[in-house]
Amino acid sequence: MSSVEAVIKSIQGLSASSRDLSALHDVLKVANESLRADSDLQLSTLDQLDPSKHSLGYLYLLDVLTCGPVPNEVVLLIARFINACDAVQIRLASEKFVSLCKRFKDKVLELRDPLRGVAPLLKAVHKVQVSTKRLTALHPDCLQLCLLAKCYKAGFSVLSDDILEVDQPRDFYLYCYYGGMICIGLKRFQKALELLYNVVTAPMHIVNAIALEAYKKYILVTLIHSGQFSVNLPKCASSAAKTHFKTWCTPYIDVGMCYNDGKISELEAVVVANSSDFEKDKNLGLVKQAVSSLYKRNILRLTQKYLTLSLQDIANMVQLPNAKEAEMHVLQMIQDGQIHALINQKDGMVRFLEDPEQYKTSEMIEIMDSAIQRKIRLSKNLLDMDESLSCDPLYLGKVGRERQRYDFGDDFDTVPQKFAM
Amino acid sequence: MAPSSSSGLTFKLHPLVMLNISDHFTRVKTQLNPPSSSCATRNIHTTTKVGATSPQNVRVYGCVIGAQRGRTVEIFNSFELVFDPKSDSLDRSFLVKKQELYQKVFPGFYILGWYSTGRDAVESDMHIHKALMDINESPVYVLLNPATNHAQKDLPVTIYESEFHVIDGIAQPIFVNASYTIETVEAERISVDHVAHLKPSDGGSAATQLAAHLTGIHSAIKMLNSRIRVLFQYLVAMQKGDIPCDNSLLRQASSLLRSLPAAHSEKFNDKFLMEYNDKLLMSYLAMITNCTSNMNEVVDKFKTAYAKKSRTGGRTGGMIPFM
Repeated sequence: MSSVEAVIKSIQGLSASSRDLSALHDVLKVANESLRADSDLQLSTLDQLDPSKHSLGYLYLLDVLTCGPVPNEVVLLIARFINACDAVQIRLASEKFVSLCKRFKDKVLELRDPLRGVAPLLKAVHKVQVSTKRLTALHPDCLQLCLLAKCYKAGFSVLSDDILEVDQPRDFYLYCYYGGMICIGLKRFQKALELLYNVVTAPMHIVNAIALEAYKKYILVTLIHSGQFSVNLPKCASSAAKTHFKTWCTPYIDVGMCYNDGKISELEAVVVANSSDFEKDKNLGLVKQAVSSLYKRNILRLTQKYLTLSLQDIANMVQLPNAKEAEMHVLQMIQDGQIHALINQKDGMVRFLEDPEQYKTSEMIEIMDSAIQRKIRLSKNLLDMDESLSCDPLYLGKVGRERQRYDFGDDFDTVPQKFAM
Repeated sequence: MAPSSSSGLTFKLHPLVMLNISDHFTRVKTQLNPPSSSCATRNIHTTTKVGATSPQNVRVYGCVIGAQRGRTVEIFNSFELVFDPKSDSLDRSFLVKKQELYQKVFPGFYILGWYSTGRDAVESDMHIHKALMDINESPVYVLLNPATNHAQKDLPVTIYESEFHVIDGIAQPIFVNASYTIETVEAERISVDHVAHLKPSDGGSAATQLAAHLTGIHSAIKMLNSRIRVLFQYLVAMQKGDIPCDNSLLRQASSLLRSLPAAHSEKFNDKFLMEYNDKLLMSYLAMITNCTSNMNEVVDKFKTAYAKKSRTGGRTGGMIPFM
């Protein structure tokens, strides 16, 4: 009996309970090398196995088959496997599953059809995840496919879980960067800002390219969203970032400084001057959005100074060509909910109003309820972190040492200088 | 054990009586067995003096007074009596003196019977009962069970009457169970509620009081919820046909529903939602404060654990090295 058949028999036999599965896993690990060398293994042998019941064995065989150049039919097979496989069995060999999915993604990109890969990868992410708080290596790949396929909504569903545990920093950088880009695509600038902020302030010894690109987008998104720009990075950013980002992102910083002054014409001049840089970074669209947001920022500032204003005056102050364009801008802002105003079309006057939100609708209750639930979950996580830190030997050592300094009386037990581990 | 009363009298018990009895019992129990006694041996000495009555078995005795109008016997108040263990009867002179005093204050009230504590009525109680029969020809015996059982929802109070039954050819009076209802007036309800919610004086911090208040409200709402659920399941079962339709119950349920405050106006909804949202905002604020304090603890611990000592020395904080 050739080794392939032996393996297949053992897979079919041992796929029932969890004890059998661990035995099967050991068998497969041992047989892995021999399977690689075996030329009997073909795609047709996989037909003997059922992907949902024999997921672990199927995974190993698929992995061996896709080691070399991947033929095109395998793409469909892998997609079906991901849809049908059993999550419990997969988690026993998660690295193999992850590498399989990465190969799948590369193949799909090679075929220039990223849309085919989106749904299977979404399912794969959910199956590999041990809990919804944990980031897996598949998250960034899934987001990358969504970006390339331009189905932003699917990507956004992945982003809606709060990630609280990360295995590999690189996964995290990529996840936040791609996630930020997806949010920019969906025009949810608040969330994009949060994600990009995470990358920019992430701890790093030397500057990495992901953080640099993220910083460029971060500057532009801050301009669009909040209309302010500060040259200094937030205080919690790493020192490497603080020193090196500025040298690499000078065109963006110029745009930001110009934005702060508030003059449209100068801003457009700067943009045109640096447009080749922006095009290289593929950020030209974002820069144009930033420029148009300068009008919005100026109109917003007007609401803080005036109660009523005529459309012509608005156009003059914001340096728009005529009152019609001012009306369009104001209308757009009212629709987006950025300002509250009434346009009187007869005499072209705009009256700025207060925020009419009274917080007494039942929709508000839903929003508040979900916010409170999120905070409760966060609080639980913080308490867990607190506990695990209290048991950390580094912490205990330092605390013990500090106590030694302050107790003078004989009432205190003598704390050992170092905890013997 | 005791058959139901057949006298046809309706008994109405006021909660003040129950409070008095329970207060009497608690006081006597505490005096016999003071909780602050630090050595157990001293405790044993005091109890042996009283004559082998452990604190739980001590019985208190007293008199209940009230008014009887027609077939309704309403028990309003009670007072304590001195029990003479040697003659196994109540001190008659004391009873008469107290009765005169109470008659002056409450002219309409008469002695209706007596009370005691314990689980069941015992034989010796019949002696006391007979002794009281010359004041009231058919006294009532109110028995309070001081063993609190939190699982039991009903009050541990039983009212007994005496009836003459033929046993072994001789007509003997025995105790029979009588059903009663609780009756109260507004003023009484307020004071009873106040007493029931007395807190120990050192638990006076605002946090514990608020927590106790909220717990009370929570348990009340939980009970209401469970009762409504029972009613709902009953009605659903009746609709499905599992239980035969009981029209009188349906009528009662519908009248209950119709008596609900039907405030469906705009203004009510407005104000209600606004208050609801205010409370939610407050909980949100509390949650955020909670999270912030947790975060603070975590950051402190993290700094203590992972901060490098700075080179100038003496400062325990330093730059946290990023990986």
